[in-house]
Amino acid sequence: MSIASQAEQILDRVRAAGAEGDLIIDQGEALSLKAKDGALEEHKVTSSQVFGLRVIKDSRVGTAYSEAADGESLTALVDQALLNASYAAVEAHEKILVNALKLETQDAQLSPSDHTTVAEKIALALAIEAKLAAKPMVKNVPYNGVQDSVGERRVYSTTGLEARSKARMMQCYAYALIESGDKNAMEGLGQAARRFVELDPDRLVDQAYQNTLDILQGAAIPSGKYDVIFDEEVLPSLFQVFSMMFSGKSAKDGVNPMRDKLGEEIADSKLTVRDLPLDTDGFGYTLFDGEGTPAQALCLIKEGALSSLIHNSMTGSYFKVASTGHGTRGPRSTLGVGLHQLEIDAGTADDTALQAGEYLVVTDLTGLHSGANPISGEFSFGASGYLCRDGARVQPVRGITVAGNFYELLKRIALIGSVQHWNWARSAKMPSIRFADLSVSG
Amino acid sequence: MLQVTKAEDVIDHGLSLGADFAELFVERSLTNAISTLSNQVQSVESGIDFGIGVRLVFGSKVLYGYTNKTEADELKRIMGELAAMDLRDPRIVIQAFDYSAPIEHHPAHRILSADADVDSKVAYLMAADAAARASSNLISQTRGACRQKEQRIEIFNSEGLHTTDARNYVRATLTAIASDGQEQATGMWSDGGLLGWEIKEQVDPKKTGDEAARQALVNLSAKACPSGRMPVVIGNGFGGVIFHEACGHLLETTSVAKKASVFHDKMGEMIANEAVSAVDDGTMVNEWGSINIDDEGMQTQNTQLIKDGRLTSFLVDRLGAEQTGFERTGSGRRESYKYAPASRMRNTFIEAGNAEFDDMISSIDRGIYAAQMGGGSVQPGTGEFNFAVTEGYYIENGKIQYPVKAATLISTGPAVLKEISMVGKDFSLACGMCGSVSGAVPTSVGQATLKVDDILVGGQA
Repeated sequence: MSIASQAEQILDRVRAAGAEGDLIIDQGEALSLKAKDGALEEHKVTSSQVFGLRVIKDSRVGTAYSEAADGESLTALVDQALLNASYAAVEAHEKILVNALKLETQDAQLSPSDHTTVAEKIALALAIEAKLAAKPMVKNVPYNGVQDSVGERRVYSTTGLEARSKARMMQCYAYALIESGDKNAMEGLGQAARRFVELDPDRLVDQAYQNTLDILQGAAIPSGKYDVIFDEEVLPSLFQVFSMMFSGKSAKDGVNPMRDKLGEEIADSKLTVRDLPLDTDGFGYTLFDGEGTPAQALCLIKEGALSSLIHNSMTGSYFKVASTGHGTRGPRSTLGVGLHQLEIDAGTADDTALQAGEYLVVTDLTGLHSGANPISGEFSFGASGYLCRDGARVQPVRGITVAGNFYELLKRIALIGSVQHWNWARSAKMPSIRFADLSVSG
Repeated sequence: MLQVTKAEDVIDHGLSLGADFAELFVERSLTNAISTLSNQVQSVESGIDFGIGVRLVFGSKVLYGYTNKTEADELKRIMGELAAMDLRDPRIVIQAFDYSAPIEHHPAHRILSADADVDSKVAYLMAADAAARASSNLISQTRGACRQKEQRIEIFNSEGLHTTDARNYVRATLTAIASDGQEQATGMWSDGGLLGWEIKEQVDPKKTGDEAARQALVNLSAKACPSGRMPVVIGNGFGGVIFHEACGHLLETTSVAKKASVFHDKMGEMIANEAVSAVDDGTMVNEWGSINIDDEGMQTQNTQLIKDGRLTSFLVDRLGAEQTGFERTGSGRRESYKYAPASRMRNTFIEAGNAEFDDMISSIDRGIYAAQMGGGSVQPGTGEFNFAVTEGYYIENGKIQYPVKAATLISTGPAVLKEISMVGKDFSLACGMCGSVSGAVPTSVGQATLKVDDILVGGQA
């Protein structure tokens, strides 16, 4: 039976129960390769499929999922979702959208055919490890790999929605462990592309090695207040940790500290933040959200003022605004909201201004999942990077912590650089931002 | 869950490709998750996870795949794709399956396939919410969660192993949010175990609510934390995350075999202060991190990792045993069929000592008492770790002075193990989820209150 037929049968059962619903079906295939000591350490081939159903009956929402696709399991899927709905509180704002759109991404753009053989991918994985391991002082390459994955999502609803997206991502990554005397360090990075030929393993190896070598002799610096620039990998992570500040759902739940600050100055006037899901250069490209609402560009902070939260249809209904196309829902998850592809407008500062005087460039933060409180904005992270002066590195820095309040930090933006950079995963594009007076403990 | 004849046919196919070892890991899991927001049910979710993991080993090379389908042809297709670059004449023949059911060490009664017990769980979370909000009008909101899972597994391998197991997990958590109109702060309490919903007879929703609220209120009144190197007293229970991060991960053969652990060549050596003895015990009855058998079908063990400061054992899975020569310890674990097994922790803790809490505090001129710890992470290659203090107090002149917030502890595993100078008597365990190469698995951390003489504290003051 085809996927579309299975979906129709499931939704027919939902309708027959007097409910409405939508169904997400995710399918994927992936290849993952890792090398160790010149041989392949991991070779993983996977195929997956999962059905995720949301039903709404009498304004109560229930969800269920099944990885088993036999008739009995899919019948149980509907029954379980309806049963779960019967326990839920009435949620007048959550509805299945009246949306009979037919949406489909372009495979040629997002999931291009690639005839690279498995042997070529294995050769790449082995070459990355071998080239990095051959560099001076490299003890080993504990984390490395090549991945090729294709994911496909279909969304159907009882109101006639049929949406399909498919995307391919090829990645390679490498981390080098370097030892010299009693010092050691491990650093690395990755690359992402739609096509195999777009990967540049030599550049990956050289950057991973150089990053590790540069930080090897790092030492703590005296505790105090420093101007800090988070690099292009760290800055998106920091915004992601505190992305709840844009969440309409958290606002509805009463835990978003920005809930009542629309239109207010919450950041330095130099800061403009947008979510740009239709930027096809990024891997956060999204044609439609988890409810099937077409995605759209959205300005979140305009010259320091909070201009919008992100909404799905439920939070939009609650706040009496339209969905911004930021609904998130996976087969296993309930309706939420989430950013697609965060971008910060370039500023006006050139490198000379940005790098004037003494400042700390942070290239790595640890404890991001445990050292932050998105409700209060407070954070305390382990950090490493470089103490710099007038654009030149003075010393590598390790074994320090940076601490502060993210929401206060947004008001202490000294300068914003004039060039935007993608992070390696191409999920966010931001310029360098120099924050003033961050607490550093060494 | 999988016909024996089909399993035999597929494994035989794997060996015909030249594999040294072939394994099928079949899993069907039921899950149920209830979320509450204050005194309302926010969602009830349930699911069926089903899939088959396929592992082939050629020498030191591990090939792994999975599918949600049960057809022999699909399983053989995965094997064929995995082994495409390694095809060779068969090396071994399949051993006849010898079914063995594991001894059930962790009885569970109110299990998910019988009844999700939604009404009872909701009542528990409502009672916890009521207790939290009754403790202070500054408690503005609570978030409750009760998650139950019934994981059934079946393992076949080319050495004739055929075994099955059922794991029943349940965990209930309440997070309280305190607000004074200007600032917000959170507190959390959680109970869980390897058993069914009969856990409700052992836990008290009032204690859960009270404790979550108490932490939130303490944090709401907390001042900025001092920073710099200083002694730290780390509380019992979840404070054991320090050992989990600082040492436990570095003793997994996943890191040891790669020489990506600073302890890979330290067996038998003093790696910790002699006040430290540590254990990873998978046999503790109904504990969150316990198992009957590991995910490679081996009966689990109680493993002494460090005795009086000396390294005595690694955590060893099947592959790790082949790579390092150490005996397996029943530590091969994985989140699900989607992951190849790897050496992982179970219930990991520093054993109790004899020190008195008051003596630890009074020995400190300027330092921190980290009463509750949050999560953390470690870089195995260098041993550098960090973890968050979620309830902390400033100590001065041998006395606890005031609560502090937003603190992080930074060090390396080898360094901190040698700085643990006093271990108390108040041993307890706490639940956690540990994420690593084979996914997120339930683990317990634990310790008695202990004193670290010198560690970097990251704060804002």
